[in-house]
Amino acid sequence: MKFLIQVLITIAICFLIQTFLPWWTMAIGSLAIGYGMGNKGGVSFAAGFIGVGVLWFGMAYFIDQTTHSILTEKVNKLLPLNSFVLTTLIGGLVGGFAALTGALLKQK
Amino acid sequence: MKFLKPILSLAITVALVVFLNKSWNFGSPIPPLGKFLDPFHGFWKNAKTSEVENESISLSGLTDKVSIVYDSALIPHIYAANDNDLFAAQGYITAKNRLWQMEFQTHAAGGRLSEIVGKAALDFDRTQRRLGMVYAAENAAESMESNRIAKAMVESYTKGVNAYIQSLDYEALPIEYKLLGYEPELWTNLKSGLLLKYMAKTLNMGEKDLEMTNALKLFGKETLDLLYPDHEGVGDPIVDNTGNWKFNPVTLDSLPLAEPTELIAIQPMEKVSHEIGSNNWAVSGSKTATGSPILCNDPHLELNLPSIWYVVHLSAPGINTMGASLPGSPNVISGFNDSIAWGVTNAQRDLVDWFKIEFKDKNKNEYLSDGQWKPTRKVIEKIQLKGEKAFYDTVIYTHHGPVVFDERFHGESEKNHYAFRWIAHDPSEEVIAFYKLNRAKNHADYMEALDHYGSPAQNFVFACVDGDIAMRIQGKYPVRRKNEGKFVLDGTKTSNDWHAFIPNEHNIAYKNPERGFVSSANQYPVDQSYPYYINASNWEEYRNRRINKILTELNQIKPIDLMKLQLDNFNLKASESLPTFLSYIDSTQLKGAEAIAFQKLSKWDYYNNKESEGASYYEAWIRAFVPMVWDEISSSKVALPRPATYMTIRLMKEKPDLSFFDIIETPEKETVKEVIRKSFSESVAVIEKWKEEKKGDPTWADYKDGYVGHLLRQEAFSYHIKHGGNGSIVNAHSKSNGPSWRMVVSLEKSGIQAWGVYPGGQSGNPGSPFYNNLLDLWTEGNYVKFIFTADVSKMKEKELAVITLNPIAK
Repeated sequence: MKFLIQVLITIAICFLIQTFLPWWTMAIGSLAIGYGMGNKGGVSFAAGFIGVGVLWFGMAYFIDQTTHSILTEKVNKLLPLNSFVLTTLIGGLVGGFAALTGALLKQK
Repeated sequence: MKFLKPILSLAITVALVVFLNKSWNFGSPIPPLGKFLDPFHGFWKNAKTSEVENESISLSGLTDKVSIVYDSALIPHIYAANDNDLFAAQGYITAKNRLWQMEFQTHAAGGRLSEIVGKAALDFDRTQRRLGMVYAAENAAESMESNRIAKAMVESYTKGVNAYIQSLDYEALPIEYKLLGYEPELWTNLKSGLLLKYMAKTLNMGEKDLEMTNALKLFGKETLDLLYPDHEGVGDPIVDNTGNWKFNPVTLDSLPLAEPTELIAIQPMEKVSHEIGSNNWAVSGSKTATGSPILCNDPHLELNLPSIWYVVHLSAPGINTMGASLPGSPNVISGFNDSIAWGVTNAQRDLVDWFKIEFKDKNKNEYLSDGQWKPTRKVIEKIQLKGEKAFYDTVIYTHHGPVVFDERFHGESEKNHYAFRWIAHDPSEEVIAFYKLNRAKNHADYMEALDHYGSPAQNFVFACVDGDIAMRIQGKYPVRRKNEGKFVLDGTKTSNDWHAFIPNEHNIAYKNPERGFVSSANQYPVDQSYPYYINASNWEEYRNRRINKILTELNQIKPIDLMKLQLDNFNLKASESLPTFLSYIDSTQLKGAEAIAFQKLSKWDYYNNKESEGASYYEAWIRAFVPMVWDEISSSKVALPRPATYMTIRLMKEKPDLSFFDIIETPEKETVKEVIRKSFSESVAVIEKWKEEKKGDPTWADYKDGYVGHLLRQEAFSYHIKHGGNGSIVNAHSKSNGPSWRMVVSLEKSGIQAWGVYPGGQSGNPGSPFYNNLLDLWTEGNYVKFIFTADVSKMKEKELAVITLNPIAK
């Protein structure tokens, strides 16, 4: 349950932060939430990963749908991986490690 | 120890963020992935729909409100209350749609590509610096700033561009900046100058003086005149005014030039494609259905995305003009207003010379001139390389211009140094010429406007609602002695310098000729009674004849007839060479693929239409034939010029035993017959291989594989297109060169009717539907009917969106 709450809070808070601030500030958000929730390391990592990953995927998917994939198809030819996969992975990794750091800081 | 885990985890997080916030190069460049993929600010945000939002923006320096109305093709119709506001708005809206391209092209012009793409561009950048591109642009910017009108115009334009640049955050940056991980710098007047010089370079640098010097030494004068005549004497000149050149020409009293007797082992610069050229014509009311003149223009350039052209409509008190503009430069370049229309093709003329320099010693502080040592000027060019230390290059300037080739750059030894004299180095005021053309009301205004135009020399076609049509070949041309400019020149004698220029009133021009039309297609410009010596690196021999034939035949002309002419795919070159080719082939001896090829070629109607297979077989054949004939030239140790294809075909018919037809690497002695037979087999083999690879029929559009490439050569942002035509054909579309803008203007008294299209789109953003919205139209041979009204209220139902620029209240 606490896992799901962390995921949802991460999505909401990081959405707010990122609307106004550069991409990496979501790491600060994810770290703070990880600290506040106090989940175990692994759980916190997964929650951060899924939270930011879902947020980034969702935003990207929304833009892709509203613009009829006009740019997605082109950028897919440019990148080594599909741009959705890469976007989700990169957002998730940073969000996950930040959440892990938050959880570990609380446990010390 | 309990701190270890969180610290380690924090370190990984920070390292990830830092890593993903930077561009990398692991063999191929990687954008800053975190920044780039962030769906809140990264590339995702560059994806757009065809809906464009209304905007209201404050722009400092405006004196009044400006309305910019986008029509459904995203063409901006700019309505301003005065000139300065108009040009600020043109700068703003052009930057909004084309900023990355504007900056990239000026970086290319000024030799700064290495900053963006790294060392791969170093040789290119050094060439630009050594050709004096920045020197030329500085002279241009200086003369713009010394003219009141030009200064106000360029400064307003720059202000508009910068207002847009300053409004940008990362999210709004064009995708190319995000991809390459850099940011735009502020625009300057110098950049507008650089852009015009870049165009001048494209149009002037087909020169081959070094190669001609080598050819003179190796082949001798007689062969030289046979292979590379000053002009081929085919077709009509652009202006035939025989016997009516009523002025006393400027003459030079110095001695004729000594012809050089040297071989130059320098590797010359990459040449601009001969497929760059253009068509324009105007037909008089006596030949049209409405009784009003019609004017057409299609400049042929390399076809890129974002396109070289941006269509704008500029309206303010005293001006109402529309047409193709160059992003980065104010005004309309090829277009029309309420009274007149005009268009441009390249005048070809030789406006480039190379002077051999003798330095006193290795320090190159002094050079010989008329027996005296004159001081040089040294300019240190700093070329910033992406991710590396800067590269420094010292360029030596003489009174001729910069020394391009020396032992440190493409040179052969310390002996040969060549300085570059180019008309575009001289101060000039092209922006004034276009400013005035945009406002011209009649022939006299057009003539006065062109008096301000220096370089690159152009054939300016003209038509007016009052019924006049005209052509003027305008530029600043040095007065030349016979043969001057064909070879390298001795730079130690000032008698070889450019001493005088042809006065504007002696330039080739005429008005309302009896034949009822004027036209130009880069051919030889004038009849034999014109009193000045003219030469060029090449003249066009085919398009002009086809255009003049059709225009002579047509009567009761409607705009659609001239659109058809712009799209005419008749291959005159093939019609003049293929029958001879085929006559040398004994078809009874042919088998398999060769027999089929022969049949397809025999039945071909000489039209390079999309579906034609004959066109592909012919093209493959001529591509095999020409290099086989000139094997002596391509295998030479020193650079030599390749004769024109027209001359190759003429020699094939007139001199079949010419020694050049011998293939040097075979022991036998070949004549035209064997070369034709051999090249036929070779070309059929090429087509067979193509068929095997592509698993299809070699229809012309597929075989040609038309390509409109993004300026970064980024495949993802480029398109392959299926279109007819070819070089030397009126529809001059070869693989990646061709009609970069097609315009047809009917100058009716009841109101101008105008159509135009170009292979691209008004937006430079690959994520916008307007990135390529005109490309399909162009490919299909369609045009946009332009909306052209000085009354902003009439735009109401036609608007896609309105951008309002407001002055900042004081």
